[in-house]
This record gives sequence, C-alpha cells and structure tokens, in this order.
Amino acid sequence: MSVTGFPWPIETGRLDNGLRVVVSEDRGVPVVAVNLWYDVGSRHEPDGQTGFAHLFEHLMFEGSVNVPKTEHMRLVQGNGGTLNATTNPDRTNYFETLPAEHLELALWLEADRMGGLVPALTQETLDNQRDVVKNERRQRYDNVPYGDAWLRLLPLLYPPGHPYHHATIGSMEDLNAADLATFQAFHRSYYAPDNAVLTVAGDASLDEVVALADKYFGPLPPGPARPPAPDGRAVAAGGPAEETVAADVPAPRVYLSHRTYPYGSPDYDATTVLATILGGGRGSRLYQLLADGARVAQPDNIGAYGVDLAHAPAPVIITASARPGVSSGRLREAMDEVVDGLAGGVTQEELARAKALLETDWWRGMSTVDGRADLLSRYAIQFGDPAVAARRLPGWLAVTPAQVASVAESALRREDRVTLIYDPEEAAR
Amino acid sequence: MTLVVDRPGPGAPRPYRFPPVVHLPVAGGEVVAADLPGHSLAVAALVLDAGAGREPLSREGVGSVLAKALEEGTEARDSAAYAIALESLGTDLSTSIDWDSFQASVQVPVDRLPAAVGLLAEAVRRPRLDPPDVARVRDDEVTSLTMFWASPGPRADYALRADIFGADLRHRRPLHGDPSSTAALRVSDVAEFHSTWFRRPGTLLVVGDLSRVDLRALGEAAFEGTGGDSVEGGVPFETPVRTDRRIVLVDRPGSVQSTLRLGNTAPHRSHPDYVPMILSGIVLGGAFTSRLNHLLREVRGYTYGIRAEYGLSRRFGRFVVSSGVQTAVTAPALVDAVGEVARTQVEGVPEEELAVARDYRAGQFVVGMQTPGSIAAALATLVVHGLPDDYYPTLRSALLAAGAPEVSAAAAAHLRAQAMTLVVEGDAAVIRDDLVATDLGEVVDAEV
Repeated sequence: MSVTGFPWPIETGRLDNGLRVVVSEDRGVPVVAVNLWYDVGSRHEPDGQTGFAHLFEHLMFEGSVNVPKTEHMRLVQGNGGTLNATTNPDRTNYFETLPAEHLELALWLEADRMGGLVPALTQETLDNQRDVVKNERRQRYDNVPYGDAWLRLLPLLYPPGHPYHHATIGSMEDLNAADLATFQAFHRSYYAPDNAVLTVAGDASLDEVVALADKYFGPLPPGPARPPAPDGRAVAAGGPAEETVAADVPAPRVYLSHRTYPYGSPDYDATTVLATILGGGRGSRLYQLLADGARVAQPDNIGAYGVDLAHAPAPVIITASARPGVSSGRLREAMDEVVDGLAGGVTQEELARAKALLETDWWRGMSTVDGRADLLSRYAIQFGDPAVAARRLPGWLAVTPAQVASVAESALRREDRVTLIYDPEEAAR
Repeated sequence: MTLVVDRPGPGAPRPYRFPPVVHLPVAGGEVVAADLPGHSLAVAALVLDAGAGREPLSREGVGSVLAKALEEGTEARDSAAYAIALESLGTDLSTSIDWDSFQASVQVPVDRLPAAVGLLAEAVRRPRLDPPDVARVRDDEVTSLTMFWASPGPRADYALRADIFGADLRHRRPLHGDPSSTAALRVSDVAEFHSTWFRRPGTLLVVGDLSRVDLRALGEAAFEGTGGDSVEGGVPFETPVRTDRRIVLVDRPGSVQSTLRLGNTAPHRSHPDYVPMILSGIVLGGAFTSRLNHLLREVRGYTYGIRAEYGLSRRFGRFVVSSGVQTAVTAPALVDAVGEVARTQVEGVPEEELAVARDYRAGQFVVGMQTPGSIAAALATLVVHGLPDDYYPTLRSALLAAGAPEVSAAAAAHLRAQAMTLVVEGDAAVIRDDLVATDLGEVVDAEV
C-alpha cells in the first residue's frame, strides 16, 4: 500500500497476565501519552444496570489502595499532565499525557486502579459520584435545547435487547438501585489485565515501557471469565421509525438517522466519505442545496456524521435546523430528498473534496501523541492488531463513487430511516 | 497480588524548548513563523488588529458578521466555487474574533499551503460583500445567535458583563453581539468595518515543516494590496470597582440546573501581577483538584464541574467562576463558591496547593504545545501582546519561580469576594427565596 496513515513505529508486547502493551516511540516531543482501553462499554450492561460502565469511569478517579481519593488527579495535573476518561457503547478509555519524566508515575497510578480499586471503594464515594453523574446528565442532556436527541435516537435505531439500544449515560433509576457490591463485582469482572490494552506514545521505548509495565501491572492476576456482550451485528429491520417532540427549543430541527456498517469495514469507510459529501463543510450537499440553495436550513446548524462504533451497524446522523418561517415538515422533506439523491451517484469533484477534508482530519488527530495512543489502543482492542490503524486513511482514500452510491442505496433506504423532529412548544416563554 | 506501594519518583527532566521564532518583513506586513520538522500538516493564520474591541458601541457583532460574509464570494469566484476550491485542499476557512484580534486560518498538508494561503487572502482581502448577501448573512447570524442564546450561559454572561463593566464601553456588551444588536446592523457597517480594519497588512503566522515552505511567497500573497499603518492598541481602561456584592437573577423557567457566573473586573493582560494572578486562579478553580471543584463536586456532589479563571485582554480583564449546579442546591452551592473565593483572598495560598498549580501550568508548555495549531495560537499571543520571542521559556521560568507570598498577595489584591457580582440563571420561581435567604447580597432581576 503506497499510503500509510501511521508513519510512526508500532511495537507490541504482552505480559504473562494477558495485558497487551503497545508502544509508538517519538522522540520529537518531550512528553508521553499513556492510554488504556478496557473492553467494557454500555453494550455490556444487562437490563437494570444501564449507566454502570460510565459511573464506573468516574469511580476510577476516586482512589485505590495506594492512592487516596483525589490523589490521582492531583498527581497527574500537579506534575504537568492532562488526563481524562470517556465511556461509549463499545469501550471505556483512560488517558493522561505528561512530561516524559513522569511515565513511571502514570503507570503506577493506572496499575493501582486496575488492581486495587475494590478495597478502596466506599459507599460515600459511590453516593458522591452518583450525584455528579446526575449533574452530568442534567448539564449535557436535560438542560440544553435538543440535548436529548441522542437518547431518543438510539431506541429508535436499535430494538430492545440490542447492545446499542440504551445510551451510555444510562438510567438514573438503575444507578440509584445499585449497591456497592454490584460495582465491586463489575470491577472484578472487567477491570483485569487480560481485558485491557496499554499504549504509550511519545518519548519512551518499548523496552522501557514493557519493563515498567511488568513491574507495576505484572503482579495483577488475569480476570475471571467475563459474560460477553450480546451480539448486535444483525439488527432486524423494523421499518421506518419516527418521533416528533414538542420541546422548549428555539427552532424546528430534524435528525435523520440510519444503521449503516460497523466501524472498520470497507462499507463504513464509504459511509464516512458519504457523510462528508453530504454534510461536511460549505461545499457539502446539505449546505449547497438547503442552506445556500433552497434556504430552508440554517447554515450554522447542518451536519452529517457517522458515530464510529465497531460492534454493530454504526449509526449515521444527519441534522439540520429550520430557518425562521420554515416548518419542520418542509425541512424534513427537503432533507429526505437530498439523502435519497445520494443513491443517484456522486461526482469525482465531490469525492475529492470529501477525501481532502478527511485527510486533514486524520493528520490533525495524529498530530498529538495522545491522539496516536488512543488510536492504537482502539485497533488493538477492536481489531486485534494496532498496525491495522495505518489502513484507515488509505481505506477512505480508496473509496470510489460507485461504492458511495452503493452504500447510499443499501444503507440509506427510506424504509429503514429513523426520523426525529423537534418542534418549538407553542407556549412561548 | 502485590501492587507496588510506593509512588515512583520522576526520571530525568527533559529540557524545555519552544521552537525558534522566525520574523520576515514582507510587502509591508510581517511573517512570524515556527519550524515543526516532520509534521505533515501546516497552519497559516492571518492576524489582524480587528478584534471586537475595534467595534463601535451599538455596532457590536459587526466583526462576527463580516467574518461569515467573507466566504459569500470573492472578487474572483462565487461562494460555492470558493467553498469547493478551499475544501478540496482539505481545509475550511476558520475565523475567530476576540477582543484584541481577528484571525483567519487554514490547516492543510504542507504542500497545499501556498494554494490555501492564496484562498485565505482572497476571502479576507477581496471579498465580494454584495449587499443582499451581507444582509442574509446578518439575518442568519441573528438566527444563529438566537439558537445559541437559548442554551444556558449566554444570558448569564451578558448580565455579568453588564454589571461589572458599568461604563458605556464596548466590552460591557457580548463579544459576538446579541440577537438584537446584530439585527440592528446595517450592510454598510459591515463594509465599513472591512475597509477600516481588514486592509491593513497585519501578521501572517506560519507553523509547520518550514524546510518545505517559502515564507516570502506566502507573505506576498497575504499582504498583496494592503496598506495603512498599524494603529495603537490603546491604554488599559479604568476599570470600575464595585463596592458591594449583589445577586443578579436571570429567569429560566423550568431549568433543572442553575448556571452560575460569578465575577469581578481584573487587570489587563500586561499587568505585572499576571503570573501570580493566574496561579492563584488555578489554585481556586483551574485544575480538577482546585478548591472550588473539590468542594462543590467531589465533596458536595452539587455539580458536574466548576472552574475559575482570569480572562485577560489588552485593555481590560475579568475574573469569572462558572458552573452549572442542580436547581435544588443553588443557594448552598453559591454560598460555598463565594466562601472559597473569600478564603483564598483572605488566607492566601499555601505552598502545597501552589506547587500543583505551578507544575500543572508549566506542564502545559510541553503537553499542550505539540501541534502546528497550538504553536500558531502561541505565536498569536506574542503578536497581539507584543511579547518577545523568548517569552514562553521566560514565562515558564517565572511560573516555576513564583512563591506562595507573592501568589497570596495577588489573590488578596485581585479577588473581591465582598464585591463580586453573582449571576444566577435558573428557575427564579423556585430559587429566589433561597437566594434572598443566603444574605449574600441584594437580589436583583436581570434585564436580559
């Protein structure tokens, strides 16, 4: 392959307890990015335990046997680092970037919370972080116009029992009902070295990282057998689905969504290119036809993007908001037409524009060691080999107009379309 | 299982280095560049002294409308052709306006930089600005601001700004204008702002693998057809000092959270207290374990997060605490937040907490400056504030050398817990009585 999306070295190792170690050395910057992917996300949550994976992400910052509560954050930031963690339907990731001399500190902290969280987890901490998560839900979903769109789209896209049916933030009732023992069991099950990948990118070598990983993570035992997440690869077609919400929103907004293909597949590469042709930038079809042409959509609130999930057909989401005086019905019809039009084919010029934008996006993501570390962890966990990451950019660049049309024809059919409409409540405030 | 009990110490520190800064006067303007060898992407940004501070009062938002109108066609091509030409290089035209500058930038694989800078200059220097297009962009901007103002935050910020900057100065009003100020703009205001401020050369920032870049050619493209002298930035404003504390209530019926914006005026960016002042801000609310976040999130569970920061520009500054707290705990959260500000102001900052702030901030010079985009932003700060090329190493040393006595003195001088404006945007019917009962100050209703 002539183009690679990852021109940095990738080296791998594995500890006896199953922890996979990935290193991408880059001496050009005096920093290290430490990144752990745990193969646990909201897709693993059984009925009645929604929101657990995400709440757990919070608990991982609240102390472990040798690290008192709040010390994790203090030690990373107090040594010049940045850190965070995220949870999605597929997985949970934890990451910090530090001046390179603090690599060992980061590995000690990560090992301590992988192997030593349960004895340190208290009811007080659980109650506190439950409140924090409820505030996160209010802030992100409940208190902002259209904030709950994702929560509404998921159950329309995926049937009950499907691993993507419920949102990662989960149900507050489920969180309220859970006791300490349940969370301790959750940790024992999923937070084990053989369910994780440790990636270090930046100013460090494989030998150095493997030696330190062995010192800090080596003593941890592998985890017990874990219940697999439900298989979501086949989703029964449920026909078109639609929901209209009257809410306290400033303008009508329409979301169209489809189940497409799993992230990493050639068809999903075509979907990624298609979404950029459709909604990325001022040269996109939605912008040109609906904001600039028919002038039914607001130019600042247009978009189309795939949500990069790997364990089931990933959703593509297409959205626009109505200009003043335009009804949601009219906007929706116009959007339907633009989406339907994709099956009729795209031009080489449209394809080239989309690929150029995606290529810049890719290199922007790769311009930091943290971006590279997260990518390698993803490919190690989801595809078994971090080196596969190098194929994504060439995959996008190889997409042909025929593939885009074919994906549009098979994945964006009206009979599978999910439509979510927000209309302003009549009662003006 | 035997976890390692003892926390490891650090390895050998790597030396800190900011890339050498290159200055190249070209065609009446200046190119300021930094070399990042091996990076596949390069960034070019045109910095003009055309920030919101240059907007006349009652014309606020004109720069933001102009920024969007730039892409509605140029002398050479219409808007669709322009978008396709630029995006086919792999970039959009990213524009931003703050109080002190207007910036337009492109980010592309380095071999496409000349074409991208050519298109950047075409839009910024030679836009069509057809009156019907400008009028439509203005109307769209009104809609866009209306959407933005429907979320919690903008109205609270509006109320805070209006209350702390009492005089009739431009910065009393929102940075990007508000829906009504923008609706009142005339097409001629937009054209006039362009002819007054966008035809001076300004500075072109270039960051990337400079071995593959002709800086002179980029400068010539960026400064072609420009003229006029740079204009003095102006002296810092006299900032009014409020002497009493008050609660300003912004009603948001049905809100499940209350949005807090608590603040007061602060010195300008070049004030000699800059270093100790920002360090005191980090101790109070700039890092995860800062006092405010520790108490309100980690101990009380009132919020998803709370932060404090100094926002400093050439001619003025302000100190702001921001958060969203659950409606039912609005009053106790406000009491706690004011309490932490007061404690920091009165008791100062102990070395243990200062050490975290110091190293956190110093670490950002390496962790936060890896990319062409972040280095370009750092160069923009040098240009806008007239700082020397060795500014970042010097600043980093100054941060690491700051001691508890001077940081405590800055906290005492610039925090004003007894005279802050406490803006609360929430469900007034539910929270008003509780706010009155806190006795933190008179409760007044905002006119937003």
